Amino acid sequence: MQLDLDNMLAKIKASQWALADFDWDAPGRETVTENPELYAKLKVFMADLMWIEHVGARGFAAMAKKAEDPTLAEIYRYFHAEEQRHANAELALMKRWGMIEGDELPEPNINIRLVVDWLDTCADDQPLDVLGSVIPMLEITLDGALCKFLLDTVDDPLCHEVFGAINADEARHLGVDFHVLETLGYSPLYQSSIRAVANILNPKLMIGILAYLPLLNRMRDNLVALGLKEEKLYDAMRKYERVGGTEQGRRNAWFRIISLQGKMVIDRGNRLYHVPVDALVKLSDRYPRRLVRPLPSWFKQLSWRSQV
Amino acid sequence: MNAKVTHVHDVLIVGAGFAGLGSAIRLRQQGVEDIVILERESEVGGTWRDNQYPGAACDIPSNLYSYSFVPNPGWPRSFSGSRDILAYIHDMVDQFELMPLIHFNKNVTGASFDEAQGLWTIKLQRGRAYKARSVIMAQGPLSNASLPNITGIDDFEGHRIHSARWDHDYDFAGKRVAVIGTGASAVQIIPELVKKAEFVKVFQRTPGWVLPRPDLRTPEWNKKLFERLPITQSAVREALFWGHESMATALIWDTPVTGLLERVAKAHLKHQVADPWLRRQLTPDYRIGCKRVLMSSDYYPALQASNCQLVTWPIDRLSAAGIRTAEGLEHVADCIVFATGFDVNKTGTPFPVTGLDGRRLEEEWRGGAQAYKSVNVSGYPNLFFTFGPNSGPGHNSALVYMEAQIDYIVQGIRTLLDNNLRALDVKPEVQQRHNRRIQKRLAKTNWNSGCSSWYLTEDGFNATMYPGFATQYRRQMKTLKKRDYRMQPEGITS
Ligand SMILES: Cc1cc2nc3c(=O)[nH]c(=O)nc-3n(C[C@H](O)[C@H](O)[C@H](O)COP(=O)(O)OP(=O)(O)OC[C@H]3O[C@@H](n4cnc5c(N)ncnc54)[C@H](O)[C@@H]3O)c2cc1C
Ligand SMILES: [Fe+2]
Ligand SMILES: [Fe+2]
Repeated sequence: MQLDLDNMLAKIKASQWALADFDWDAPGRETVTENPELYAKLKVFMADLMWIEHVGARGFAAMAKKAEDPTLAEIYRYFHAEEQRHANAELALMKRWGMIEGDELPEPNINIRLVVDWLDTCADDQPLDVLGSVIPMLEITLDGALCKFLLDTVDDPLCHEVFGAINADEARHLGVDFHVLETLGYSPLYQSSIRAVANILNPKLMIGILAYLPLLNRMRDNLVALGLKEEKLYDAMRKYERVGGTEQGRRNAWFRIISLQGKMVIDRGNRLYHVPVDALVKLSDRYPRRLVRPLPSWFKQLSWRSQV
Repeated sequence: MNAKVTHVHDVLIVGAGFAGLGSAIRLRQQGVEDIVILERESEVGGTWRDNQYPGAACDIPSNLYSYSFVPNPGWPRSFSGSRDILAYIHDMVDQFELMPLIHFNKNVTGASFDEAQGLWTIKLQRGRAYKARSVIMAQGPLSNASLPNITGIDDFEGHRIHSARWDHDYDFAGKRVAVIGTGASAVQIIPELVKKAEFVKVFQRTPGWVLPRPDLRTPEWNKKLFERLPITQSAVREALFWGHESMATALIWDTPVTGLLERVAKAHLKHQVADPWLRRQLTPDYRIGCKRVLMSSDYYPALQASNCQLVTWPIDRLSAAGIRTAEGLEHVADCIVFATGFDVNKTGTPFPVTGLDGRRLEEEWRGGAQAYKSVNVSGYPNLFFTFGPNSGPGHNSALVYMEAQIDYIVQGIRTLLDNNLRALDVKPEVQQRHNRRIQKRLAKTNWNSGCSSWYLTEDGFNATMYPGFATQYRRQMKTLKKRDYRMQPEGITS
């Protein structure tokens, strides 16, 4: 999946959109607001989704500083902004559906909060291979896939319009994600493995893994609650292995580790994996919120308003 | 008018900024009298006439950012404001009686050399052409304000101001202002705007390295001392010169001192900005010195004022109401201030220049400008540049370099006039040898270390900076070696 980055950057620049491009008062909001059962679940789901955008956002922000190729760095600078745009658009939908008041921001679930917190404190210190391998997984399963699933349950035409624009962005994100995943495989497997082993012992990364594992299980549970089939999530995870698993890609030790973990998530029968991870999910619910660091100041620039 | 035969000046100078005026003074001191200065505006001063935005000031101490042959004991501050520098230039014009030499509202649009007569013809936008035996190009490196290449720049319906063409009649009180750019001008403007405007949004592409700038008022006793004992002022100037020279080790090349200076800049950032995310946004990811280092002690505090916000999202386009950025929001503004710099001629000339056999300088320079010792270009006899290719200082006063260029140019013009030459033309092989050396040395500098800046062409060719100490530059400019030049006497055609 080799990509011409200059072309990609030009395409990204030509495909920008803004909240002002949509009519947020267009008819159709009642399809959500007058369906109380959907409404309650969707409110939770949207809050999570909006915060998951930040997982990608913060990852891209770190990559923008890491990428040696200036074109790639510029692409990441855009992707970082685009994730913020997705969050802004999702906030605007929540506003339309009356799920938020004034300028309040919805609360994310604790697992997302912990991942965002970890990214904020540690992402800038992580090596390129870790970020470059895990971001595609996060994007394909969470950022990209969740948006698509949503459309199966929500009929609001504006929602479909907005997610049309978001998904077009995500398609470009995935293109670049997998391109980078592949280039990371250029060094021989043993070199990459040695680096991976060295990194995995890094305590900061361990904490990151502990934050990341329960997030996937949590989002699976949320999907099920929304009445969606968990198979859909698994399809997305399999896609990571399929698209990323080129000859080059397989030489990247982090790709192998992440694929393997993905397989365990999919296999509900793997009690060795799911019992402790589900326990982690439960445990994290009791994680004292006061221990989570306050939100970094970038959240102040989030807004559902087209004009600020 | 047509009946009158055009007078042939000994020297024609394009531009009445520091360079043009300084050249006229030194030429006169060397006995050259027939000089004309063409200036496109109606006032002298160049940079300091144009850059009158609030907060405009030099970031080299005034005692060094001035001419050694025009000492000024009365600088009111260590880093003088634009108005004080302009006043200094006006005093210089009065003191040396330069006004009669200057022809205002003459916009030069072309220059061509007539080999048979050994004369330059200077064309104007309006009015009759001028003729001269020699020409000094002193039109300034940063005299043409440039707007950024942003989609929809004409769609914006609010007020637009460029930093170098300030609109003093615009009242900022109660206005929402957007500033595009975070370079040398922006860091001076923003603290002033924050005091006046209702809200200021600063749009940053890449952060710059910022060093603190202690701006002290000069005490009265100090001014008196400089007046009574001028030697004390030259001593201070000398000390400042060496202070800035030592910065070259950090700024021009990647040395341990570079890291040290970066630590100073980071400590300054840490001291002034508490919020880690803002600090991250303001931390450059290139070596200090790769771009112009910014000097300010009030920029970071201004950014954190309650009526100011730093926006680092990429700009998508300008709209009727303001600026749309990639995070999908439209930032509404009453006024946009463009602190986006200047068109620097790295790959061309400000107007067509025709030399021997009809050759065109703008074509020769398309791949990147080059000259001999930044002053002469082979094939263009009797033509002299101030601030020419590879004469830019990264760490010292531009005027130190300018003085060296001017004195070199005066030698050239004296050689031309004293020997009654038709052409004084640098030999092509001499120019080539010089440039091979320059480019080789540039390859090892911070400027060529991978950040994009106005120092480099699109292809990364460095046609602007001098890779060395000011002392080295001054030394190479000390004497004009006749053997470097082809000298063609009057009356003989090649
Ligand atoms: C905001 C700002 C701050 C600066 N601060 C510093 C500093 O702290 N230290 C430092 O060393 N340098 C500084 N500089 C660089 C500064 O430009 C030089 O130091 C110096 O002023 C240049 O003088 P000059 O005479 O070469 O050019 P200018 O001052 O630009 O003068 C050129 C003159 O030529 C005229 N002209 C241009 N084209 C034509 C034409 N076609 N026909 C006729 N006339 C023409 C212009 O109108 C102008 O009057 C700064 C520059 C700017 C913009
Ligand atoms: Fe997204
Ligand atoms: Fe994404």
